[in-house]
Amino acid sequence: MIEVRDIVKIYAGKTVVNVPHLEIKKGETIGLVGNNGAGKTTLFRMILDLIRPDKGEILSKGEVVAGHEHWKSYTAAYLDEGFLIDYLTPEEYLYFIGGLYGLNKAQVDEHLLSLKEFFNGEILERGKYIRDLSKGNQAKVGVAACLLHKPELLMLDEPFANIDPSTQIRLKNLLKDINKTSGTTTIVSSHDLNHITDVSDRILLMEKGVIIKDIATNSSTLAELEDYFAVGQGL
Amino acid sequence: MTSAFISHELKAFWRSKNTGKSIAIRIVMGILILFLFGYALLLGIVLPKIIEEVSKTDPIISFCGILLVYFLFELLMRLQLQELPTLRVQPYLHLPVKRNALVTYLATTSLLSVFNLWPFLLFWPFIFQVIAPDEGAIVALAFIVSILGFSVFNNYLALYIKRKANLNGWIFLVVVIGLSLITSGDYVWHLYSLRDFSYAFFGKLIHTPAYALIPVVLALGMYYLNFVYLKQNLYLEDLNSSKKSSFKSSTDYPVLQRFGTVGDLVANEVKLIMRNKRPRSTIIMGLMFMFYGLIFYTNPKLGTSDYSAIFVGVFMTGIFIINYGQFMHSWQASHFDGLLVSRINFTDFIKAKFLLFTMVSTVAFVLTIPYVYFGWRILIIHFVMYVYNLGVNTAIMLFFANRNYKRIDLSKGASFNWEGVGATQLLVGFPLLLIPFIIYAPFRFFGVANAGLVALALIGIAGIALRQVILKGLVDDFNTKKLQIAEGFRNK
Repeated sequence: MIEVRDIVKIYAGKTVVNVPHLEIKKGETIGLVGNNGAGKTTLFRMILDLIRPDKGEILSKGEVVAGHEHWKSYTAAYLDEGFLIDYLTPEEYLYFIGGLYGLNKAQVDEHLLSLKEFFNGEILERGKYIRDLSKGNQAKVGVAACLLHKPELLMLDEPFANIDPSTQIRLKNLLKDINKTSGTTTIVSSHDLNHITDVSDRILLMEKGVIIKDIATNSSTLAELEDYFAVGQGL
Repeated sequence: MTSAFISHELKAFWRSKNTGKSIAIRIVMGILILFLFGYALLLGIVLPKIIEEVSKTDPIISFCGILLVYFLFELLMRLQLQELPTLRVQPYLHLPVKRNALVTYLATTSLLSVFNLWPFLLFWPFIFQVIAPDEGAIVALAFIVSILGFSVFNNYLALYIKRKANLNGWIFLVVVIGLSLITSGDYVWHLYSLRDFSYAFFGKLIHTPAYALIPVVLALGMYYLNFVYLKQNLYLEDLNSSKKSSFKSSTDYPVLQRFGTVGDLVANEVKLIMRNKRPRSTIIMGLMFMFYGLIFYTNPKLGTSDYSAIFVGVFMTGIFIINYGQFMHSWQASHFDGLLVSRINFTDFIKAKFLLFTMVSTVAFVLTIPYVYFGWRILIIHFVMYVYNLGVNTAIMLFFANRNYKRIDLSKGASFNWEGVGATQLLVGFPLLLIPFIIYAPFRFFGVANAGLVALALIGIAGIALRQVILKGLVDDFNTKKLQIAEGFRNK
């Protein structure tokens, strides 16, 4: 699905991402972990062609991402509030995004019905613009917009932050579900080791721009990660 | 503590994005401010002469007469422009800082407004040149003290009204209507004379300088009122000036839906304009400029010559293109990443901009049709300039939009907001307004003015006819610049 070749990104003389090789297969669920500044968001942005890598290239379905738009038809991502048009109501935004993928209002409504539990009555018909929602509720709108068109590749940056425990659990179920039923490849970053090991079958651990661990999740993964973060990064 | 506040405040000013990061902006701002001060001071210095020329009576009587009028006018200006010192106390509320210290600081620093400087520049020269020699130092001092008193009183009154108006928008309206009624009572209906009232007070100063204490007491009273009000309302929910928000409903624009994705994009942008202060004010400004032609066409000196009509025409039908377009795509800075990642075809994206410009310019042209009163030729020239705007100026504007990397925070208001302003924004209007003259003038020079108009029209039509080519060029250009734009917009 995704192939990273020799990606290097340097900001002000400091290497923030350096990934010589990474391959993500279709249907994999990837958990991306690492402390602040490890380069998770930068990697996301390069996969989404929002940042130009200084070296190397990223391929999606075998085609180069940078400068092309083919990947947009099957990719969905929510990294931060910068992905939301905040002066729209959630409905307006979701209809707009749906429209971009050829869905009419009725189809969008039908899809939103399935997200009723996830929204927990806090998103739709509340008479608020997105900018007036709390960060957690904004994230819900962003995630919902991603799920509208049944993407083949879904990328979420710290989706568990800011949302309440009930929604965290619902989101985990959503992620597992979409992977099982539609075979969606998911790349999710998080600081919550419990959640991330729960939803991912493969964990990538980043430190200072480098992927230092690439492990298939098993029963001891959580303990392994907790050990790493408890000790702190190799000084 | 106060020194820490002041140091933070200075940092906030110099590091604020509204201040403008580039040196060029600061220099331009500095020069503008100096100019304004210079003019005010100049006016102050020649004020004695003006008053002597205009008034038939004693200049001091006239001077006393205008003071109250000035302060009424100043109050109105303050209500419009003076900024409330509010939100910036938020980071200190939970810290062990005494509330009194905070409130005192807030209330006192509001005195640092430029508005409190005007009376010095405007009236002190008169006081020193005329009143002091005629009536003596004590009377001059009384004038200075009372003018200061009224200034400070006005300062706190304006802030008090503004704070109240933040909670209830009607108060602002009531105050403005009240002020208008007071002035019309004098100048329109001639029920009374404000100048007499003004003289009734300031005239007394000449004989009993002690009256100067009255404005001082008023000022202190107003300060106290502000102080108490602020102290009682030093809570987050009061400070966040957002009014009780009403139910926001979703809106559709059926007309635009016929244009598919391009229409959806335009609909979003229309919502952007209507739901955010700063872009909305570009529309309101645009509407006000619809009267711009009156200034030209009713003026016998400028008259209804072709030159006036070309300028007025390009300006009125293109005001939105200039005013709104100069900050493209900064308006969308906060969700630009989202736009890039979502499945929006960039051709549609740029097309939507063209469609938006076309729609608003068309509305502007329709609104200017009544100018036909000044002759058919005016209307024809306006139409030519409308076509020219659509064909040429839209493309120029979008070309510059691709080179604009400055973020704009939509939640901020418009007045004195320098965010997103760079040299490009200051200069971009010139080619838009001047090129038509460069095209037209040679024809006029050789005595074929009509041919000049035809040339402008043809160039405009060519621009519209070649839109697909221009569009392709702009999209290719956008593609090479988009990452740079996105990076600039991410820089908060």
